[in-house]
Amino acid sequence: MTTPMLEIRNLHVRIEEREILRGVNLIVPKGEVHAIMGRNGSGKSTLSYVLAGKEDYEVTEGEVLLDGVNILEMEPSDRAVAGLFLAFQYPIEIPGVATMTFLKAALNAQRKARGESEISTPDFMKAVRDAGKALHIDADMLKRALNVGFSGGEKKRAEILQMALLKPKMCILDETDSGLDIDALKVVSDGVNALRGPDRSMLVITHYQRLLNHIVPDVVHVFSDGRVVESGGKDLALELEGKGYAGFDEEKAA
Amino acid sequence: MSVHVPVRLGPAESKLIEQLTAAGAVAEAERLTGSGLPTRRVEAYHYTDLKQLLRAVPELAGAAEAASAPALRVAGAHQLMIANGIVQESGTAPAGVIVGKTTGGVLSTRDDIVTRLNNALVGEALTLELDGSVDPVIQIDRRTEGGAGHSTSAAKIYVGDGSSAVILDTYSGSDEAHLGNHATYLALGKNAKVTHITVNLAGSKATHFASNEYHLAEGAQLRTLIINAGAALSRTQLFPKYEGAGAHADVTGLNLVSDGQHADITMDALHAVPHTSSKPLFKSIARGRSRAVVQGRLVVARDAQKTDAKLMSQGLMLSDEAEILAKPELEIYADDVVCGHGATSGQLDEDHMFYLLSRGIPKAEAETMLVRAFLAELIDPIEDQALNEALTDVVDGWLARG
Repeated sequence: MTTPMLEIRNLHVRIEEREILRGVNLIVPKGEVHAIMGRNGSGKSTLSYVLAGKEDYEVTEGEVLLDGVNILEMEPSDRAVAGLFLAFQYPIEIPGVATMTFLKAALNAQRKARGESEISTPDFMKAVRDAGKALHIDADMLKRALNVGFSGGEKKRAEILQMALLKPKMCILDETDSGLDIDALKVVSDGVNALRGPDRSMLVITHYQRLLNHIVPDVVHVFSDGRVVESGGKDLALELEGKGYAGFDEEKAA
Repeated sequence: MSVHVPVRLGPAESKLIEQLTAAGAVAEAERLTGSGLPTRRVEAYHYTDLKQLLRAVPELAGAAEAASAPALRVAGAHQLMIANGIVQESGTAPAGVIVGKTTGGVLSTRDDIVTRLNNALVGEALTLELDGSVDPVIQIDRRTEGGAGHSTSAAKIYVGDGSSAVILDTYSGSDEAHLGNHATYLALGKNAKVTHITVNLAGSKATHFASNEYHLAEGAQLRTLIINAGAALSRTQLFPKYEGAGAHADVTGLNLVSDGQHADITMDALHAVPHTSSKPLFKSIARGRSRAVVQGRLVVARDAQKTDAKLMSQGLMLSDEAEILAKPELEIYADDVVCGHGATSGQLDEDHMFYLLSRGIPKAEAETMLVRAFLAELIDPIEDQALNEALTDVVDGWLARG
């Protein structure tokens, strides 16, 4: 069996005295798109932050392997260089940092860490223009400070633009559909789908099934009380939508 | 009846009294003998207790050749130099610029030891008359060279009605325990537009005092950027006076302090007539065991209705031992004004940091980006490209010295 892109083994995480993740096990093979569904407060977003390396969380047990390498001891920037990308549920506004300056710094930092040369300005401009076109991102938006004054939809499109430029191998999309109307949802989903490929895996975290009509997953995992309680094909999402999480919990309990 | 307790004088005060007496400033010598250097009980020196902080005063600096290169080079700038208080010969002045010399102090008399010392001890002052649209940046390169010395410099600048200019004052010198006391008197004519940048790059053992007095006539527009980046002890005092309707100033300043440094920007502004406005904005970045001080005093005269003045101080602390002290004072005698003040102080935002790191940007680079972002409001308005880059280099250089 080939090495999975992402393997989470018995992950336990706490914030202060509260255990949020209680033994997560999950395998995302290369080239596959997996969805995690769960109600608010089930620990989905915590999982995404822990994978990306945010401080404030204490991992008490378990491992996270990215393409076979344990990343839990790595700095967030090193995880990104290793190919992990988190599309934030709430992208951060940073006044005073120009979007283009940020994009170039991120791209060059990753190239440098991989021993590649810096991208030339014309090549960079072209790459941004090309990636931006499909996402309906115009030059005006890129002239502004990073995410500052962006609408909800613009922020999500900007996240996907970063993903397209940085070409990560493991993408985690945290509630990418939240705050999007149906048109924006389509633009963002098309952007994500265009990035699917045999060398790239995705973990789509969502609350609602509707996103999965647009980004169709290979596998759906149901998340409850800090762990994966059920995995199945894409029909599992429909089943959840029908019964609700509560119905699902009762069935498990029976 | 009050009991008069004589002030106990320290070596710094004794030396200053000796120097004042030798310069013939007997009244000032007596005054200092009676009061001593200001302590924290003097409101204007509350966080910069000179009696504590100024331990020694070096001998008066003699004439000296400027040995080092200018502390800051700006492509295309016209350079004038004052070395150890003496105005140096300079080349042909650019169009619209008349360079001259005068003797004696340039600052208005006020109850303040730093300005009084400058007025009493200054030998000669550089004079500048600027008319029309002065093209090159006018740089006054002020040095204290040679062995440790107490030097006093002054410049008196008039900018004519409707004229515009960018003036850069830089302060540097040999790496000795100098005491530099520098004065600038800058008068803006009607509708004149001036940017005044000062960059304190004095050596690490030096004490740096600077006092800038601004007079703004009707419709005059001033932008300042006061940077304290050098010296062990710095105090830059700003005295803007709004004297004509429509006068406006963006008084901005920046303290950059590292381990062992104490830097102070103190503004005492007077809105004297109706319909004037100001936006003082001061920022401080402190790291190591250091202290940055910002004091802003706004006085609005009884007749100065419709004054619009907003004072802001923002601090960024990069270490646990860093201290940032901010004190606003509003003294308002008019009843129809919009005046306010605010202050914030904190560390780099963790969420901002995590977002940049999560994109693969290493920690040191992410810090630099966020510090630059913090300072963008101050640096971005400097339109002259070469000057903007030189100031960015000052900030980046400071950051790189970590």
